Amino acid sequence: MVKSSNKKAAKSAERGRARSVSNRLGVFFLAVLLVFVALSVRLFFITRDNSAVYQQKILSQQIYDSQVINAKRGEIVDANGTVLAASKEVYNVILDVKQLRLKNESNGNNIAQTTTVEALVNIFGADRVTVNKYIEAVPDSQYYVVKRGITYEEMSRFLPLITKPEEGNLEQSLYNKDITGVWFEKYYVRYYPQNSLACDVIGFSLSDGNASYGLEEYYNDVLTGTAGRRYGYLSDEALMETTTIPATDGNTLVTTIDANIQMMVEKRLKAFSDQYKDNARKGLGANNIGCIVMRANTGEVLAMASYPNYNLNDPMDLSSLYTEEDLKKMSEEGTLRDAYDALWKNYCIADTYEPGSVMKPFTVAMGLETGTIKGNESYFCGGSLVVANHEIACHNTNGDGWLTVKGAVAQSCNVALMQMVEKIGAKNFLDYQSVFNIGLRTNIDLAGESRTDALVFNEKTLNASELATSSFGQGFNVTMIQMAAGYAALVNGGYYYEPHVVSKILSSSGSVVKNIEPRLIKQVISNNTSDIIRDYCNAVVTDGTGWRAKPAGYAIGGKTGTAETVPRGNGEYVVSFACHVPADNPEIICYVVIDRPNVSKQEDAKYSSIVSKQILTDILPYLNIPMTEELTDAQKQELEELDLSVLTNRGEESEDEEKKEEGATNGN
Amino acid sequence: MQPKKFLFGNKRYFDFSLLFIVLFLLAFGLVMVFSTSSYASSLAHDGDGLFFLRRQLISVAVGLFMMVVVSFIPFGIYKRFALLIYLASILCILLVLPLGRTINGARRWIYVFGMSIQPAEIVKIGIIIFTATLLSKMSNKERTSWKGVLLTLIPAGIISAMLYFITTNLSSAIIVALIAACMLMIAAPKCYKLYILLALAGIGTVALIILIVKGAGSGSLGFRGERILAWLNPEAYADGKGFQILQSLYGIGSGGIWGKGLGKSMQKLGFLPEASNDMIFSIICEELGLFGGLAVILMFILLLWRIRDASVYCTDMFGNLLVTGVFAHIAIQVIINIAVASNSIPNTGMPLPFISYGGSSVIFILMEIGLVMNVARHSDFKEAPAPAPAEDKDGEDNEAEE
Repeated sequence: MVKSSNKKAAKSAERGRARSVSNRLGVFFLAVLLVFVALSVRLFFITRDNSAVYQQKILSQQIYDSQVINAKRGEIVDANGTVLAASKEVYNVILDVKQLRLKNESNGNNIAQTTTVEALVNIFGADRVTVNKYIEAVPDSQYYVVKRGITYEEMSRFLPLITKPEEGNLEQSLYNKDITGVWFEKYYVRYYPQNSLACDVIGFSLSDGNASYGLEEYYNDVLTGTAGRRYGYLSDEALMETTTIPATDGNTLVTTIDANIQMMVEKRLKAFSDQYKDNARKGLGANNIGCIVMRANTGEVLAMASYPNYNLNDPMDLSSLYTEEDLKKMSEEGTLRDAYDALWKNYCIADTYEPGSVMKPFTVAMGLETGTIKGNESYFCGGSLVVANHEIACHNTNGDGWLTVKGAVAQSCNVALMQMVEKIGAKNFLDYQSVFNIGLRTNIDLAGESRTDALVFNEKTLNASELATSSFGQGFNVTMIQMAAGYAALVNGGYYYEPHVVSKILSSSGSVVKNIEPRLIKQVISNNTSDIIRDYCNAVVTDGTGWRAKPAGYAIGGKTGTAETVPRGNGEYVVSFACHVPADNPEIICYVVIDRPNVSKQEDAKYSSIVSKQILTDILPYLNIPMTEELTDAQKQELEELDLSVLTNRGEESEDEEKKEEGATNGN
Repeated sequence: MQPKKFLFGNKRYFDFSLLFIVLFLLAFGLVMVFSTSSYASSLAHDGDGLFFLRRQLISVAVGLFMMVVVSFIPFGIYKRFALLIYLASILCILLVLPLGRTINGARRWIYVFGMSIQPAEIVKIGIIIFTATLLSKMSNKERTSWKGVLLTLIPAGIISAMLYFITTNLSSAIIVALIAACMLMIAAPKCYKLYILLALAGIGTVALIILIVKGAGSGSLGFRGERILAWLNPEAYADGKGFQILQSLYGIGSGGIWGKGLGKSMQKLGFLPEASNDMIFSIICEELGLFGGLAVILMFILLLWRIRDASVYCTDMFGNLLVTGVFAHIAIQVIINIAVASNSIPNTGMPLPFISYGGSSVIFILMEIGLVMNVARHSDFKEAPAPAPAEDKDGEDNEAEE
C-alpha cells in the first residue's frame, strides 16, 4: 500500500516536473517569439530603408558575360594585288586553372590535371614544371596563358582531344574527358609578307588598333574595322542565351605602289649604299638615300623608298645598322629613341633638305611665266657673282662663259640663275614658291609628312642675297615629295596633282568602298612654259650635267642637284636628280636624293644620276614604255647582261646580299 | 477541456498539424531550392537545372521515411542507449579524420558508400538525447547544483570543442552548446548557477567584440575577427568577409514588400554565395518580399508551437526534455540563420531547417521531428494535469486532432 502510494506519489511528482518543463518551454517559446518579432522588425527596416538603393546596387553588379570579337585589320595590297600587309588569325592557349582544380576535387584525384598538362606539353610544347607550378601557386586563376600566338593548324591538333564526339564514334575519336579547362583565345597579328619592302610607305601596326607611320597610321580608321561582341543574357526561362554582334573587318587598301617597281628601286638604293659602304668614312654608302617614282599625269606614287630600311615584321630590330655595343651605348645615352625615329620615318616625306639645282627649272619657269625673262637672253658667268656684298660662287668656279637660258639650265650655272632671279624679283619668287607648293604640305596620304612653312623664306627674310641663292635651291628647305610633285607639274603641261598612294578602298568582301581618283589641284604654269622647261630639262641630259642618267634606248629629261648642307664649308652635300620619261610626253617622274654620299668629294651629282639611270633601266621596260632610240651594240650587250641579272638572278642576288649583310654585321 | 481520443486511443494520437507544417516547409523548401539552384546547377552540370533539386528530393524522401520510422519507436528506448549514442557521436566526428575530404578548406563530411554525411548533424540529435537522459535522471536539486550544471554542460562542451577543432565548424559547435544550455535552463527551475555562466559567456562575447573592434587597426586578427568587423560595417569589407552579408542585404532590401516574383531573383545568379544553402532566406525575401520572409517566420513559429504542444500532455520528464531539445535546436538554428541573413549577428554558416539545400541537415532534422511525433503519441490526456491558463491551447489542440 505504502509502496504503491509512494510509487503513485513519485509518478505524480514526475508528472509535476514534466509539467513544469512544459511550462517553462512555453515561456521559452514566448521568448523565441519575441526574437522572431525583433527579426521581423529588422527585416522590415532593411526593406523600408534600402529598397531603392539595393535594387540599384543589384542592377549595377549585373555584368553580362560578354566577349569582344576582334575585327580583322584590313589588308594593304599593291596595284597588282600583291599583299604588302595582312592580318592572320592566331590563338592563345588559355588554361582555366580553377575549373581544372574543381574537376580534380570532384574526381577526388589528380588525373584531370595530369592528363591536361600532359596534353599541353605534348602538343604545344608547354613546360610541364612551369604549368604545374602555376596551378599550385594560383589555384583560383581562370586565365593562364600557356602559349601565345599559335596558328590555326597547331590549334586544330588539340581540338579533337576536347571535342565531344557524336554517339557511336566514341572509339575512333581522340576525345579525352579528363582534359579540362583549356580553351583558345583568337586574335589577329599583323604580318608583312614582303618584310622590308616599302616599309616607309606601309608603316607598321604592333598591336590591334595602333599603328605607326605610313599607310597603317594614316588609314588606321579605315583598316581597323569594328570589333564585334558576344554577350549573354538571361531569358524569361532563366536560361543563358547568347547573342553575337559580328565584327566588321577592316577595309582593304589598294595602293598605287607597284611592288615590282618598288623592289627594283629598293634594290638599286641598297646596291648604292652597299657599294659605298665604309668608303670615305665609316658607315653606310650615304646617310640616307631616297627615291620617288610617280606618274607624271596623275600623281600616283609607283614607288617610294629609302635606305636604310627596316623589317616591318620586326621594327625593333636595329642589329643590321648598329652593333650591340652601339645599341647599349645609345640606350644609356637615351638616343635609342632617336635612332628608331630616324629609321622608321619616311625619308621621302619627312626629311627636309635644301633642293639645290633641281630648283633651277622652277626659277626659270617663274621668269617665263611672269614674263620677266623671255628665254632668249644670254648671261655671262665668270665663276662668281657679288650680290649684296657677298661673293657667291658658281659650282664651276672657272666660269661658264656666255650662256643662253637653256644653256644655263643644262650646265646648271648658278651665276646665270642669280642674274635671272634678280629680274624676277622677290615678290614673284615668293608668289611662285607658294604656287609650286614649296613650303606647304602636299597632303599625300601618308602619315608623317613634314611641315616646311618655317623652312622657306617670306617677305621679311627674303633679301637680295637670299633671293640669289634661292634661285639655285640653297637657303630654304623642302621635302622630296614637294619637289617630285612640283617637278611633275613643271613638265606635264603645268598641272599640279596631289600625290597619293591609295587608289581604292575595298571592303573586306572585296566590294569597292571608295575610289580615289587623281586630284588635280591647280595649273601652276601654262602649257607653253611647261613645253619650254621640258625642253631645257631634256638638254640637261643630252648636253648638260645629267648625261650620266640617260638609260639606253630612252630619251629623258631631268635636272641634277647638288646642295651644300648646313653648316657650310665642311664638304657635305645632298646630291639629287629629278627626271621625267619619255622626254617629250612625260609619263613617269623619278626623283633620287642622296644625302651625303660616302665619297671623298660629295659635290658631284653623278651619284644620283647613275642611280637614276639604273632605276630607269630596270623600270621603264617593266612599265611598257617603248624605247625611242636605236641601241648601240655596246648598249645592247649591256642591257642583255642586266636583263639576266634582273630577271633570273634576283632571288639569288638578294640571298647573297643578305649573306653579305650578315657578314658585315658580324664583322662589326 | 479534454480532447477526443483519436482512433485507437492515446497511443495512436498523431499531430497532423505538425505534419502538415513540416510538409509545407519541405515543399516550400524544394521550390526555393529549385529556384535558387537551377542557374548554378545548369552551369555546373551541362545545363541540367534539376540536379540539386533531385538530390534534395531524395534527401527529403529519405528524411520523411526516417521521420515515420522514428515516430513509431517508443522514445523511452533512447534513454537506455544514451551513453552509446553519445560515444557514437564522438566517433562520428573522429571519422572525419580518416574518411573526410577537404572542401573549401574544411573537413566536415564523411564519405560512406558514395554518400556524404555531415557528422555535425548526427551529433545534434545525439546531444539532445544524451542531455535529456542526463537531466531526466537528476532530481531538481541536482540539476540546480554546480555538479548537475557541469555534468550536463561538460559532455556537450566536449562535443562542441571537437566540432570546432576537428571540423572547424563553429556554427555547429555553437548550436550544440546552446542546445545543452537551453535544455538545462528549461529543466532546472531557477538555476542561478547556469544564469551566472550564461551571463559570463555573454560578457565574454561582448568583451571579445569590443577587443576586436578596438584592435581593428593592428591587422593581426584571425578571420573570425574580421567577420565581426564585417558585421559591424559590411560596406567596408565588401571585397572580403563583408561580401556575402552585403549581397544578402541587397537581396532582402531589393525585394521590397511583395518581392520580385518567384524565380526572379538576381542575386542567385552567382552574386550571393551559398544562395541555396545558408543564404536561402535572403533569396526568399528577394523573390517573395518582406511578405514571403514574414510568412516563413510565421510558419516556423507555428512549427515551434506544435513542437512545444507535444510536451503539454506528456507525463514523462525524458520525453519533455527531448521535445525541449528539438525545440531549442530548431529555434536556435532558424534564429541564427535569419539573423545572419539580415546581418543582425556576425556571419556564421547555418542552414535554414527544412528549406535550405543540404541532405544531412534535412534528414536529421526530420528524424528529430519523428522524435517529437513519438512523444506526442504518448500524450496522456487523462493523467496529465489540467493545462495552466497561461499556456492554454485547447482550441488549437482540437484543431490539431481533426
